[in-house]
Amino acid sequence: MSKRRALLAVAAVLVLFFAGQTPAMAAAYVPINGAGSTWSENAIRQWASNVEQYGMRINYDGTGSTNGRNQFASGLTDFGVSEIPYGKDDGAASEARPKFPFAYMPIVAGGTSFMYNLKIGNSRVTNLRLSGDTLAKIFTNVITNWNDPAIKADNPGLVLPGRKIVPVVRSDGSGTTAQFTTWMVNQYPSIWNAYCAKAGRKTPCGVTSSYPLVPGTSTTAQSSSTGVSGYVSQDSSVGSITYVEYSYALNLHFPVAKLRNKSDYFVEPTARSVAVALLSAKINTNKSSGDYLTQDLTGVYNSGDARTYPLSSYSYMLIPVDQENTRFKVAKGKTLGDFSYYFLCEGQQQADQLGYSPLPINLVQAGLDQVRRIPGVDAQNVNIAKCNNPTFSKDGSNTLAKTAPYPQTCDKVGTTQCATGTGGAKANTPTSNGGSKNTPGTAATTKPGANPSGSTPTAAASTGTGTTGGGAAIDPDTGQAVGGTGGGGTDNAAAIPVSLSSQLDPTLKTVLIVVACGLLLGLTVGPPLVARMVNRGGRP
Amino acid sequence: MTSAVATPERRRRLRPSGGPDRVFRVVLRLAGAAVLVLMAMVGTFLFTKAVSALRVAGWSFLTTEEWEPDSGRFGIAAVLTGTILIASVAISIAVPLATGMALYVSEYAPGRVRRILINMIDLMAAVPSVVYGLWGFAFLQAHMIGLARWLSTYFAWFPLFKVTGSDPRDPLATETVYTSSTFIAGLVVALMVAPVICSIMREAFSQAPIGEREGAYALGATRWGMIRSVVLPFGKGGMIGGTMLGLGRALGETIAVYLIISPVFVIQPHVLQNGANSVSALIALRYGESGPMALSALMAAGVALFLLTLVVNFAAGSIVARSRSGAESEA
Repeated sequence: MSKRRALLAVAAVLVLFFAGQTPAMAAAYVPINGAGSTWSENAIRQWASNVEQYGMRINYDGTGSTNGRNQFASGLTDFGVSEIPYGKDDGAASEARPKFPFAYMPIVAGGTSFMYNLKIGNSRVTNLRLSGDTLAKIFTNVITNWNDPAIKADNPGLVLPGRKIVPVVRSDGSGTTAQFTTWMVNQYPSIWNAYCAKAGRKTPCGVTSSYPLVPGTSTTAQSSSTGVSGYVSQDSSVGSITYVEYSYALNLHFPVAKLRNKSDYFVEPTARSVAVALLSAKINTNKSSGDYLTQDLTGVYNSGDARTYPLSSYSYMLIPVDQENTRFKVAKGKTLGDFSYYFLCEGQQQADQLGYSPLPINLVQAGLDQVRRIPGVDAQNVNIAKCNNPTFSKDGSNTLAKTAPYPQTCDKVGTTQCATGTGGAKANTPTSNGGSKNTPGTAATTKPGANPSGSTPTAAASTGTGTTGGGAAIDPDTGQAVGGTGGGGTDNAAAIPVSLSSQLDPTLKTVLIVVACGLLLGLTVGPPLVARMVNRGGRP
Repeated sequence: MTSAVATPERRRRLRPSGGPDRVFRVVLRLAGAAVLVLMAMVGTFLFTKAVSALRVAGWSFLTTEEWEPDSGRFGIAAVLTGTILIASVAISIAVPLATGMALYVSEYAPGRVRRILINMIDLMAAVPSVVYGLWGFAFLQAHMIGLARWLSTYFAWFPLFKVTGSDPRDPLATETVYTSSTFIAGLVVALMVAPVICSIMREAFSQAPIGEREGAYALGATRWGMIRSVVLPFGKGGMIGGTMLGLGRALGETIAVYLIISPVFVIQPHVLQNGANSVSALIALRYGESGPMALSALMAAGVALFLLTLVVNFAAGSIVARSRSGAESEA
């Protein structure tokens, strides 16, 4: 009898358990698969893990934008993510478009940043500044050394070492490469065409997703954003620089270069400077166009706002629309729709923290309209005001861009640069007054003991390493990393180059090594041989 | 003894083979034929897909170094050379390593150690190649730069070890010229193929006839003398066969190479220098983003690799079968 009661109890518990489960199961989301851009991958992965609590499974594969477009076109994935629309890529003119109706939906904004690994002596440089043509020349192997006068002109406060520059580019078809080359095609066509010609591509060279390589240069190619950023972050890669989304530099605690804009300020790709820049982006608002909602960034590159980061852009999700339940399963549409509602509204709050920039209100609105067209979507009326998107305001202007602080005086061209770190490396790099055009406005950065963290708009994670003041105060031998990998020693970054005493001639060295090896062999093998010969000779 | 063996045989012949027997034989024949059919199907599929690219490229497919299928300039001169270079680096490291391991396991190791070692070697062979690749990229590469620099500094007179752009006397010289090279990729592949080679060699060595071993000892040979005069000559076929099978694997290794190399499309004979390439890594890198023409070109590269591995494996098979140890194990 008691046995039976126990069984009943177990059954009751089980019933309760499953009953408890049902509400969660009721939503019954079908898992969906997507692939594409590694530029946006960090944001998508975060959003996907955020919506897991609602029972949604979003499998995302960062295979590169080109691959994402291809897989979406051939129907292998439910959605794709790409930085550029179909048919923009010069190299793949024959690119296959999807044979079913689809649309572009902006998902997140961000800056294509230039993450670098550079040390002066033992301390990491975290405040490098580069102007556009210098950058273009670096990635086209025209400028090959860090102590090049052009780089020196951008960084009067740094004495950069005579190291070789190692540009690290993407070996796979990549939207980041496409964004970068779009900018070069638009701004520095002659530099870019000369390089393309050297690489054996036909000129004039257009936007490309696969970066051309010239054999015999120091340029190194790696696959995926993780690949290039991982390569740059290795200890052996001092002197390397790559193009990658800002979030990768944040995650790896590495600095990014401040890029010069048209108002002659050097600006970091923070959420705010990207938001300001994208005010000048021209969005295709023709709903009947196949490229509805795609961007023209010429205005961004040429934006006169002092706070602009010139290489800012949006990335898109490719979604299936307007179909009669043929290819795309309606159940999947529900997942894709709810996921889209999530990241267009709530998800945007996190963009800044992840290293991206939230979408402005007009694009969120347009995106929400696109979501309605997904087959099988559970259409919602989203109250945009409740999204807490930091760009939204009552009057429709972009709050984030409006409140973005103007760059400091020390970010202006010709001044001794700010000492504050960039990207994921917030530690300061001491600057010297070696620059010829030192303006009084830079005093804050070079005054000993001045706390620079209060003066930077971007130092969200500032570790308060305000101890650097010319670097003379601390013994270089004891000055170990203070703030993460960006810390480095506190020895003076403006070190004086040292020439080493002359070394042996390499040929002589080889000869000496061979002689030494011979001697070693003779000493070990010789005695037994001699002994044996003596023995043999002694025997009758 | 002979009559005992002969009797059941005669009895079986007397009775005509029954239904189940026949069915079993048919199944076995089908299974055997399936292998050949599959092989042929892979070959024909690759070839038919490759035809359109081969028609565009013509014979220049064998001599062109670039890989720009969309503009019609593509060939396997660079990638195939790169594949062979990576495989030869791998083999020249893996074979001495595997020979040593196999000899120690089969001739020197005491019983318990031997069992553990055999298990470990099998385990090494079972580790997925992507794990080797990640480990090679994130860990091994940084630790091999010193060796690569040393080799290029003192042995640069050997043409393969030359590294352009390196200056050992410059303390600020970049170390990246030694990364992502044929050498690093070959090293990782060597670690992957060594266990395979080692198992085959060990098998061959352990089959050396006990009578001959004891004969050698009886004639006053030391253990090394015995190995030299009995085990090694006996296992020669196994050694060559194992090497060739390892080479076959090394030629086709994809993901580990893909993760490490920085692909270049020129013939790059300087194995220590940044920049390498291989057919399989090229396919892995490009297949997902290729239009129809580029895909066909990749298929053509696949055909070349397929033929190369086929030749290597056939050679290995025939050598193993012809040798003494191989013949015995075949029979």
